[in-house]
Amino acid sequence: MSASPGHEILTGDPGTRACLLGNLAIVRGGLEAGVQFFSCYPGTPSSEIGDTFARIAKDAGVLFEYSINEKIAVEAAFAASLAGARAMCGMKHLGLNYAGDPISTMPYVGVNGGMVIVSAGDPSAITSPNEQDQRHFSRFLYLPVFDPATPEDALSMTRYAFGFSERTNLPVILRPTTRVCHSSGMVEFGPLPTERNQIRFEKDPPRYVPIPSNAQRMRLELTERFKRAEAELEQSGFFPRTGRGRSGILAGGVAYAHARQVVEELDLYERVTLQKIGAYPIPDKVLAEFLAGVDSVLVIEELTPFVEECVSLYAFRQHRQLPVFGKHSRHFPQEFEYSIELVDDAIRAYVRQERRPRAAATVPELPSRPPVLCAGCPHRASYYAIRKVFGADTIYCNDIGCYTLGYGEPLDACDVLLCMGSSISQASGLSRVTGRRTVACIGDSTFFHSGLPALTNAVQADDDVTVIILDNYVTAMTGFQPSPTSPPHNGDPRAPTEPKAPPEDTRGPAIEKAVRGLGVKRVFSVDPFNEEKTLAALKAAKDGSGVNVVVSHAPCAEVTRRRSKGKLNKPLAIDQQRCNQCGLCIRLLGCPAVYVADGEHVIDESLCNGCGLCARVCQRDAIQPVAAEGV
Amino acid sequence: MNATPDRDNGTGWRMLVAGTGGQGVLTAARLLCDWLVDRGHSVVSGQLHGMAQRGGSVQSSVLVDCGISPVMPRGRADYVLGFEPVEAARALPFMSSRTVVYVNTAPVIPYVLAQRSVRDGTEAKYPDPKELADAIRAVTPHLFTFDATERAVEAGSAATLNMIMVGCLLGSGLLPHTADSFWTLVSNKMRQDLMDVNQRAFSSGVELGRRLQ
Repeated sequence: MSASPGHEILTGDPGTRACLLGNLAIVRGGLEAGVQFFSCYPGTPSSEIGDTFARIAKDAGVLFEYSINEKIAVEAAFAASLAGARAMCGMKHLGLNYAGDPISTMPYVGVNGGMVIVSAGDPSAITSPNEQDQRHFSRFLYLPVFDPATPEDALSMTRYAFGFSERTNLPVILRPTTRVCHSSGMVEFGPLPTERNQIRFEKDPPRYVPIPSNAQRMRLELTERFKRAEAELEQSGFFPRTGRGRSGILAGGVAYAHARQVVEELDLYERVTLQKIGAYPIPDKVLAEFLAGVDSVLVIEELTPFVEECVSLYAFRQHRQLPVFGKHSRHFPQEFEYSIELVDDAIRAYVRQERRPRAAATVPELPSRPPVLCAGCPHRASYYAIRKVFGADTIYCNDIGCYTLGYGEPLDACDVLLCMGSSISQASGLSRVTGRRTVACIGDSTFFHSGLPALTNAVQADDDVTVIILDNYVTAMTGFQPSPTSPPHNGDPRAPTEPKAPPEDTRGPAIEKAVRGLGVKRVFSVDPFNEEKTLAALKAAKDGSGVNVVVSHAPCAEVTRRRSKGKLNKPLAIDQQRCNQCGLCIRLLGCPAVYVADGEHVIDESLCNGCGLCARVCQRDAIQPVAAEGV
Repeated sequence: MNATPDRDNGTGWRMLVAGTGGQGVLTAARLLCDWLVDRGHSVVSGQLHGMAQRGGSVQSSVLVDCGISPVMPRGRADYVLGFEPVEAARALPFMSSRTVVYVNTAPVIPYVLAQRSVRDGTEAKYPDPKELADAIRAVTPHLFTFDATERAVEAGSAATLNMIMVGCLLGSGLLPHTADSFWTLVSNKMRQDLMDVNQRAFSSGVELGRRLQ
């Protein structure tokens, strides 16, 4: 069976104890604070926050949107805050960079309704092209950052952050990492508010318009606000200190959860003092009281040595000499998530206990299971045709989405990749500098997110690029959120899109209209499963100069499968009498439904969507629909 | 048969559910969490899965009265439910001689094997299930293997694999609560049309767990 989180987030009574996913705890925290506006762009590991708001927004009286990108999400939420609403945004760490422009000036202007930006971090870059430490935003943009260690923290910090934001007149960031977002832990529901902020926007241009003369005044106010934030944080309760020992431990984020676990298991509270760092800026008073009771410090934090440098600097300012162990001393790495074993070993070494013996299990060599385009995915059909027409010499610029899985064999349609929307601009740059043929592949959601300005740029520069927009009517990679080309959703943005929706019926701007509007003359629309027409369009695009755009429309196979609660097309089977095991179907397509068993090439009926691509590749006509029973 | 092993952590215990995307691993862990919270325990659960595509490795830990860290420490799982032989073997670093392991013997063939076969011209084979079992047995004697997928299909749907596996653990009597209490809680939340098939699968798993001791 399968289960999905229901509305208990919204209806749970105060005092309810539940084991809640960190991302859901954030939603509950927002509801308990009376959040009135929520906007987001999905991105792992943050997506469940927005998806849950999408389900409950109507009942909760929250204005909700999946924004086109993170910058827009933040700007819309900030405007809501200026009108008095408690406003919240969700995104992953990279989205915070994309929204960096508005975020950098928001602390100058200040808020009216509390504003909380949730930016989920991804140490170890498990689902991202990089890992990064958003805590630095507290320093270089004067934005307080809350750093939950557990789902319980995630709930209480989110709830607290709105009032804090209003009292300090600063927007704030909540930075949960993957291990908080995607872990479940015990939380206790608090009451939902009976009253919420009044909505009212009063014109006050000197307050809201940061032209230089105003910005200079705001800059001085910002210093005061940030000081107030530090004073408020002293009273926040997010810096608990436990133990009486002279060996100090500072820990933040999920590393604190590991550290506390180890300290408790080893019963070290007589020997160590464990100080949690739950938010930034770290109040001087917290560090002063902690340092007064210890002779040395071990800092346990993932990613950059942020706390380590804060405490070292503070000790230096106070003329306090004591050893600080952490990343600079090479007790911990700067890269990747910490395992609990790493923390366990470090704390034992710190208190001079023997390492826990750990038998190294002999794990036999196991085949990996790398992510792959689903059986029946239209991107596979598109890539197959693109490679057939454009060949090996073309430079393929790829983008962020499921279709990034065109990387490597056998589709081999990804030579460069950087970030959301970069495919088109990289194709432009490479084309201009090398004179070689370049192709950009970008999905519908990513195209509207940040591909549009790049395409405008390519048109203005008259670059020789072919842009292929892979439109599957959904933001699939992050959990099937709607994209601008999703069909109308009748008020429930989470309702799956209609299978085989014709592009003319789309709710938003048809991609072709937008592209033509920018001045692209050569625009082709294809269904990638119509091989003949797709190849013809791609050839025409290849032969044309300037910017050529091919829009490849076909619904996401997984959305189709879920919606149909079964299959739309009959699965295919390989006729073993005809098959000569040439392997073309496997080698060219990399479909997860085709496997090799005892020398025979076989199709897994339970995975096959009957897309028919392998049947067209087969030169011996060996792949046919599964015969109906009794025939 | 082997005596019931001591747990690693006194009164609390740690469980690991391992399988591939689409097998119902996360749902199984979720249901175990809800049930154990309902039984008065403090539960922390962590999941690790890569990108959203189906077919990847998925592990979910359910840590009961064990503290606040959400990760399964190496060598300290009390119970492992392997929904698939390779994924069970992948969980080996979390096992010790005390770990009780239930493994579904029906494999999910990684698609990379077919790729490798046609590229290299020699058939890249799924690891020998017997060797995988031996590798686990080299760590713990408490290993039970059975074709849970077949049982799920017999119950009415391969999608009930997770109910077979959870049923099996609960039927073993190793946890301090009855299988009935689990079903009572789960069935309250379940869609009516899914009830019968899931109940058949769960009962089948419980019956198997009682026998495998």
